Amino acid sequence: MPSRFEPIIIGFLCNWCSYTGADLAGVARLQYPPNLRPIRVMCTGMVHPDLVMEAFSQGADGVMIMGCHPGECHYLEGNTKAAVRAKVISVILQDIGVDPNRFELKWISSAEGSVFAQLITDFTMRIQKLGPHKVKSCEYRDRETIR
Amino acid sequence: MPIKLAGESLNACSGCEISILDMGERLLKLLEFVSIIHFPLLMDSKQGKNNSRIVKLPKADVGLISGSIKTDEHLELALAMRDSCDFIVALGTCATHGGIPALANSFHNEDLLEYCFNTEGTDKTDGFPSHIVPELLDACYALDEHINVDIFLPGCPPHPDHIFRALQSIDKNESFSQSKKSVCDNCPATRDGKGQVKTLKRALELPRWHAGDDKKEGFKCFLEQGFLCMGPVTRGGCGGDKEHARCIMTQIPCRGCYGPVKKESNQRLSMLNALASNGIDISSLPETLSMLRFSGGHGLLRPLPRIKES
Repeated sequence: MPSRFEPIIIGFLCNWCSYTGADLAGVARLQYPPNLRPIRVMCTGMVHPDLVMEAFSQGADGVMIMGCHPGECHYLEGNTKAAVRAKVISVILQDIGVDPNRFELKWISSAEGSVFAQLITDFTMRIQKLGPHKVKSCEYRDRETIR
Repeated sequence: MPIKLAGESLNACSGCEISILDMGERLLKLLEFVSIIHFPLLMDSKQGKNNSRIVKLPKADVGLISGSIKTDEHLELALAMRDSCDFIVALGTCATHGGIPALANSFHNEDLLEYCFNTEGTDKTDGFPSHIVPELLDACYALDEHINVDIFLPGCPPHPDHIFRALQSIDKNESFSQSKKSVCDNCPATRDGKGQVKTLKRALELPRWHAGDDKKEGFKCFLEQGFLCMGPVTRGGCGGDKEHARCIMTQIPCRGCYGPVKKESNQRLSMLNALASNGIDISSLPETLSMLRFSGGHGLLRPLPRIKES
């Protein structure tokens, strides 16, 4: 029986809301797929688009950025910066040949453990439907023939 | 014994070679430790005898390659250079990042040929040239996408200071390094912090400029004035080892010819990110592909998927 495709999803979780929310989901023993690799950051406003691009170029199948709800940022406006950056990321992803659906920006508060679990379940299913992400640079550079 | 130097230009304009000759008196100093054995643009040497199509290049210590790879001829030459040279120096932004020719990567080859051979001003042709001329590859590649490169010298053209220093370091068997800072890092403009700019001006307006005798002060950062300047996302050093950035000193915002600050990053992404996080609506920009004007290789620019006609 062929094994099911298990995507690798990189998540950038803000320390103050989303990481605590994810913690709550764990404490409450909520079930969600184990495909997310969470990375704790102090604020979503510090996630430079290069980090998202690097995740994709290193073989991630999906990338999520999760932060506080608008207006609730610990640093006042970090999440609004993340929101405008997310638009830039979607534009560039399309142009370098990655389906923008593989990228998502979501707001999770520290009380929303169940929302977090549901979100990860939905996103994992979406990436499973999209299938594995092929790293496009291989298409351009045939590593075996390089001298 | 002088080091043997070979040079080839691929998909290039020969501006980088002009920059070699632009060294001034250092050119004489250079010729003391370098002997040029193959350089089609500077001296007469043809590869291949009796019209044979097999490329044979003389053995050399250093190979200077300018230009990107767009046809199978370029690819063959690049591979031949790699085989015959110990060191490969990618000369110019075309060789390191794709350069201006890589703007073609946002179009399909058929569209390019159609545009070249079948525009309104030309006579109708039956087809595109297919034999004798080299075949087009599927994209315009930077050099390091096909061969291993030892020294990268970006720039359009690279400053003679850097070319001289790179060749000197090979001669002395030292490591060569270039500035890893952005153009902004030694820009003489004054900055007042993040500006209140919400929209970008077109280049039709003139920037304010009060440079007096001392050019180090007297004008305000182009970005704070609302002009698109690629300085923050472009590697510095275009003015050579001592001077400021060349375009900035002639009142022109940086266009990004030295490529990204970190070799693998994307100038367009970084610039849009900088604009967006400072409150400029990126959908208000007429187009953004030209932010990759000099670094469209490495798969960063690619044609939009064709819309199926129903």
